[in-house]
Amino acid sequence: MAALTDILSGFRSVGSERLRIGDDSDAVQPFVAVDSAKLRVEVAAGVSARLVVVHEKPLASSLSFLLERGAQLEVTEVFLGEAFAEVRTVQAADSSCCLTAVQLAGANVSYRIDLDGAHAASRVGGLFLAAESEHCVMELRTAHNVPDCTSDSLMKGIAGGNAVGEFRGLVYVAPDAQRTDARQQSRNILLSETARIDAKPQLEIYADDVKCSHGATVGQMDAEAILYMRQRGLSLAQARRLQIEGFAGDVVRRCGIGELGEVLMEAVARKMETM
Amino acid sequence: MLSIKNLHASVDGKEILRGIDFEVKAGEVHAIMGPNGSGKSTLASVLAGNEKFTVTEGYATFLGQDLLAMSIEDRARAGLFLGFQYPVEIPGVTMANFMKLAVNEQRKFRGQEPLSAAEFLKLMREKSAVVELDAKLTSRAVNEGFSGGEKKKNEIFQMAMLDPKLAILDETDSGLDIDALRIVATGVTKLHTPQNATVVITHYQRLLDYIVPDVVHVLYKGRIIHSGDKTLALKLEKEGYDWLINEYKE
Repeated sequence: MAALTDILSGFRSVGSERLRIGDDSDAVQPFVAVDSAKLRVEVAAGVSARLVVVHEKPLASSLSFLLERGAQLEVTEVFLGEAFAEVRTVQAADSSCCLTAVQLAGANVSYRIDLDGAHAASRVGGLFLAAESEHCVMELRTAHNVPDCTSDSLMKGIAGGNAVGEFRGLVYVAPDAQRTDARQQSRNILLSETARIDAKPQLEIYADDVKCSHGATVGQMDAEAILYMRQRGLSLAQARRLQIEGFAGDVVRRCGIGELGEVLMEAVARKMETM
Repeated sequence: MLSIKNLHASVDGKEILRGIDFEVKAGEVHAIMGPNGSGKSTLASVLAGNEKFTVTEGYATFLGQDLLAMSIEDRARAGLFLGFQYPVEIPGVTMANFMKLAVNEQRKFRGQEPLSAAEFLKLMREKSAVVELDAKLTSRAVNEGFSGGEKKKNEIFQMAMLDPKLAILDETDSGLDIDALRIVATGVTKLHTPQNATVVITHYQRLLDYIVPDVVHVLYKGRIIHSGDKTLALKLEKEGYDWLINEYKE
């Protein structure tokens, strides 16, 4: 992952367990945290920030992101090792948080997002690539605790070999959280007969004026599309790669750092070639 | 260019093609007609190399090579193009990206250098004009959200980009309104040269008003039961297939 290291070396490294991003921070340059066992990030009111979290070692980590009123945070979390991460996000009114998680190893991540202030917005994109006997888990619990918040999650999984992938999603809408707009999608592709993906998107709604949707699909590579691409001269490997890039691209490129998205797509494609 | 002898093919143990003999030379246009279920699309798929079908007997050569021994992509790279009856949507893959890979892959096969970004864009602009394809479509995902007419124009656009030796167009006219039919058919005609050949599979005579065939074949129950000149299509349009089928039975 030399390309990834290159990009990250240009970012501001987070050394301590607590980071407060205030008005004085240079919003342009992202922060990066590698293998933090514990990290609490606070984004001050009205401030925008970007953060990259990398898990290289098979460690447990506990992360929390607190967004004050009107704060904006973009987090890209990359799993290169078998890490276990618990991520808590608490959002005040008018804040917006975009999380992108890319699992390139059999990792386990659990997100808990609390939308605590009106007009808070959460956007989550997740991708796992489970090969051989890897086991990838993504858990996402989004709580709409107050009215007028929005959440939108798109989780994608690819499993080959004897791998197992799990997505457990829950959107919770509190009794008073009227006019909630929540969307939750899980799309998955199995590359082998023995791979398995369990996708469970769930809704728990206690308010009556809400717009909530959820769905999950598990399918195979599109043989017709592969045939079509090969008929135009692409090799089987190229056609598969292009299809996976097309499948994963919208999630991975959700990450707010363009060049990082491209490097991650490259890593996804390389791993795919071994699956 | 293409020579087929006694070609038999089946799918799931069911024989669909039952002895096809067929010869296409450079510069020719052939039309294949026939009632539903006669094996027209199967013939196109087998020639393109669709692995769903098993060739049980016979052989086919393309530009002197054993066509049936080649992979789908090698057939394409050697210059065989199939215009799909139902073009496939590929979410997340842009037309431009897809075509760039395809064009350069085919160039590599022929020992040519890949096109530069500028050369490629120029080629796309030039070729999208052939079928009046909205330039915006090339930045969209392959066939995704394209109308029926746009999908078929897009097939001919790809044919123009890849400049094949032999194009097999499987019901390219189906689902087209009169204007789209004219544009698509005129596009095919523009691409025709004395060095290449076209095989059009169609149900309707009207396509052949634009793409005038040298030979019209009638496929029935997996065999070519009759071949004639372009007037055969007109006769079929007027009288249907029954007279041929009855003749064939006797």
